[in-house]
Amino acid sequence: MLRATLKGMASRKARLVLTSLAVVLGTMFVAAAMVLTATMEKSVSGVIADAYTGVDAVVTPETTGGFDQPANAAAQNIPAETVEAIRAVDSVERADGAVEGQVNAIGDNGKLVGTFAPTIGLNWESGEGQNDYLTMREGRGPEADDEVAVSAKFAADSGYGVGDTVTVYSYTADRTDFEIVGVYGLSGDRDSLAGETQVAFTTPAAQQMMTGGEDVYTSVYVYGDEVSTEAVADAIGSDFKVQTGEQASEEAAQGFAAVSDFMGYIFLGFGLVAVFVSIFLIINTFTIIVAQRQRELALLRAIGAGRGQVVRSVLTEAVVIGVIASILGLGLGLLLGWGLSEIVSSTMMGGLPVTLLIPATTLWALAVGIGVTVLSALVPAVKASGVPPVAAMRQAVNPPKPLRGITIAGAIVFAAGGVLMALGLTDNLGGEELTGILTGVGIAFVGVTMLTPILSRPLVALLGAVMSWSFSGRLGKLNAGRNPRRTAITASALMIAVALITGIATLVSSIKATTSEVLDLNLNSDLIVSGAQGGANIPSFSPQTLEEIRALPEVESVGDVYMDFFGTRVDGQDAMLASSEDLESALEVFGGTVAEGSVADLAPDTVVVDEGTAEDRGVALGDTVEVTFADGQTEELEITAILEGYDLTNGWWVAPEQIEHFTLPKPMQAYISVEEGADVEAVQEEVDEILADEPEVSVTNNAQFVEQQTSGLDTILAAVQILLALAMIIAVIGVVNTLVLSVLERTRELGLLRAVGMTRGQVRRMITVESVIICVFGAVLGIAVGIGLGWTVQQALEDEGLSSFALPWGLIAIYLVAAVIVGLLAAIAPAARAAKLNVLGAIAYE
Amino acid sequence: MPLATPPAPQRLRTGARAAVTASGLWRAYGSGEAQVVALRDVSVAFASGAFTAIMGPSGSGKSTLMHCLAGLDTTDRGTVEIGGVSITGMGDKVLTKLRRDKIGFIFQQFNLLPTLTAEENILLPASIAGAKADPAWIHQIIATLDLQDRLSHKPTELSGGQQQRVACARALATRPEVVFADEPTGNLDTRSGTEVLRFLRKSVDDFGQTIVMVTHDPTAAAHADRVVFLADGQIVDDLQAPTADTVIDTMRGFENHAPIAGEAR
Repeated sequence: MLRATLKGMASRKARLVLTSLAVVLGTMFVAAAMVLTATMEKSVSGVIADAYTGVDAVVTPETTGGFDQPANAAAQNIPAETVEAIRAVDSVERADGAVEGQVNAIGDNGKLVGTFAPTIGLNWESGEGQNDYLTMREGRGPEADDEVAVSAKFAADSGYGVGDTVTVYSYTADRTDFEIVGVYGLSGDRDSLAGETQVAFTTPAAQQMMTGGEDVYTSVYVYGDEVSTEAVADAIGSDFKVQTGEQASEEAAQGFAAVSDFMGYIFLGFGLVAVFVSIFLIINTFTIIVAQRQRELALLRAIGAGRGQVVRSVLTEAVVIGVIASILGLGLGLLLGWGLSEIVSSTMMGGLPVTLLIPATTLWALAVGIGVTVLSALVPAVKASGVPPVAAMRQAVNPPKPLRGITIAGAIVFAAGGVLMALGLTDNLGGEELTGILTGVGIAFVGVTMLTPILSRPLVALLGAVMSWSFSGRLGKLNAGRNPRRTAITASALMIAVALITGIATLVSSIKATTSEVLDLNLNSDLIVSGAQGGANIPSFSPQTLEEIRALPEVESVGDVYMDFFGTRVDGQDAMLASSEDLESALEVFGGTVAEGSVADLAPDTVVVDEGTAEDRGVALGDTVEVTFADGQTEELEITAILEGYDLTNGWWVAPEQIEHFTLPKPMQAYISVEEGADVEAVQEEVDEILADEPEVSVTNNAQFVEQQTSGLDTILAAVQILLALAMIIAVIGVVNTLVLSVLERTRELGLLRAVGMTRGQVRRMITVESVIICVFGAVLGIAVGIGLGWTVQQALEDEGLSSFALPWGLIAIYLVAAVIVGLLAAIAPAARAAKLNVLGAIAYE
Repeated sequence: MPLATPPAPQRLRTGARAAVTASGLWRAYGSGEAQVVALRDVSVAFASGAFTAIMGPSGSGKSTLMHCLAGLDTTDRGTVEIGGVSITGMGDKVLTKLRRDKIGFIFQQFNLLPTLTAEENILLPASIAGAKADPAWIHQIIATLDLQDRLSHKPTELSGGQQQRVACARALATRPEVVFADEPTGNLDTRSGTEVLRFLRKSVDDFGQTIVMVTHDPTAAAHADRVVFLADGQIVDDLQAPTADTVIDTMRGFENHAPIAGEAR
């Protein structure tokens, strides 16, 4: 029986290759994701570990965060006396106080240095103290406080070299010019550790730039034989964290690996989508194979093969395909993962040397590939065993099965999903709303898939009506409607891909609409100074710039906003703090009004809060709240006003005097209102000139502002579309498969049509129309489901501020056109096959 | 009948024009050892407005002859003319158009498209051509075949006989130069078969239709005006105004000389 199966497979090579392709793609992405994540983690921790070689212990403040949380306040720093205390510990030979933090440097081109990764500032002394960490390439280390040495990647990115002057500033320090006196390589003389750029100052300059204080450090590197971390900890008290070199290195590596982790998740997601789509393709292919082999299987049954043997015969085929395709996919996935790691490390991590690591979990990809193939083939295999032996003796007729069963089941599943979604959306799931909604969406998705056969009838008729202007088109339409199950399962694969894309596109357009609506409703300003979110920096600009803008004659008022949410708390709970030098103007811009009290007398001992937040916290006018600032400063402030009618910046407004306690004591945004009758465009140009020295922000009008704030979404959408296009390729293979089967099954009909005068062109048109109808059907369903998906998620997030729902009409139109093109392409080979059909062979029946 | 004197193709009914003429047809399949010659120098003419049957044992080449005459198969040598036009060497496109406009087909089975109703099947060649069929003519055929009540039915809802009658109507719908019927009653019970044959007869007598029918059934052949006998790729006899008995006698005559079965392609 096995031999018969293998020989049978050899004769169906083309179809099996196409099916395998789907499994290969799915397995490949899953494996690549795992390799990428593991490899990048390993590579990053490798270089970080190198950097920490010889460091026996690292002391950091207990409260410090990663690179994303800039350090500035005294409480987060280590005072000089603590360093002395560490040096006094017996086993410690040497302790270097290090000053490290994020800085901004303006490059040769006037833009910020560094794109994907931040610019790190450090004190030269501590870096030099680490074994093999720094290698001088040119010049020397900084000796005076106005000198810096820079890493090789910094030199390359900034366009500066030894002797040039570079402007550096930080969240806490204003622009300062430094002379570059040296260029160094890092850890094995590479340009960069993991993509970052570095500037090394003298210790006092570093303290000034990154801590805003004197004689304080951000961490201490401890050297010595058998340094006891306990002894160090005992010596310095509980405000500090003492780690071994390895522990610190691991922690640092995790921060760096975040980028590749994110990419790994994306690839894993697409691998799983590809696997999911493959299920439909595999079911379809095996249904086809079983249909083609019906007489053969019936003959086997007639000569005494048991049902089990028939099932096994079909499953053996699935196992062989699954194993071969999964191994191939795994192999390609390893290559892809390695290639991606190289790309990520060279483009985003400054030529990090890649240490390929294939985690054992990669074998899961193999299991997924084989499992999916075999399980998907199970249904057709069991059906095959139901072929009665007499079928061998008569002409194969496959009457379409009634759709009642699957329709009822589908309706129940869909309703169940719908109910769950409805319960979630109406807040009836006791805190598990989002989980409930998403589960409901998933269940409803399966339900729709089960309903596709019944949906195919009216929809195919409708779509077909559009294409029935020619007779061959009409025949194509009729053919597409002949086997609703097959049409449905073929279209379903496409539906899933299109639904996901449409869902994401709908969410993106809803976010844009919400942003623009909120701005339109609330903003009374004409121009906005702000920066795009999502880079290594939180965009901000200097207070002086704000003054210059205020001084422009055509400017009526400027509502500036300072914000902080790094460790800021009100009454112990996380809270957003805001401040403005001109709160009244800011409120006017946001359309906010004072409901109770007055904002005029906002003083260092008072705070102003919006109605919603006040309600949430159960506080009222005149109450006193405890506000904790980012630097640890805690103050009792009295609520002197309650605001209403604005929702751009919900939070606690403190007096401008408190700004010095903010993580980022610089304005992030400014909303400009121009004098009545003034030329807004002219003012925009003037402001633009003022901003020439502010690389992080730009001036926009309201429409441009929406674009700027949502530009990151477009990039994500584009990436998602490219990757989902791969899922569509798998779906297209399914369409080709189905069409080839249709052509095979209808050989006699095609022969008849050709005999009674249908030209080859007409035959091709007929097949093409069938193909386009299937594809457009899948796309229409996918778009409908995707819109539903997007709507549900938008509804679920309505309370989080996603208040508007908007359809991405342009993209929907593009997806429909794409479906037509996909249909045309998928039809090429099957149509050619049908047109080349030998009429005599087709009608011969002896 | 002596094998040595094959009938001349020009022996037609007095005054009748030839609807289909074949001269010196050769057709072989395969090559070398495995080569099978299906037609050896066949020359035959089919009179317009006549009902001709082609008979012969399996492998005699009767189907190949019909396929060559109908432009479904190519010939190695010789020419075929339909309505005075030579179809030999025509390209696929022209041949397809010729089949559509000048030829009607009735096959043994699979005559109808399952997705179309009986009426749509009857109008199929016209639809393919994008032309409008003559309604009066269609109406007349449908009435003659007694299909009025079956027009909106799909083929699966029709009996075998009804299906074959729809196929007849389809074949005649375009008033073709010639209708080729390949074992049209092969799959039918006697009564349905007789109905179909009576209609074919009637369409020749009443409408002046030309029909060429391949059959192995002497009773079916007896409905024709003339029977052409094929054996081993050659015309071995030609019988005018046949009856079932004369056909059977003729067949017995050459069956004694026929090669052992199994040489069929």
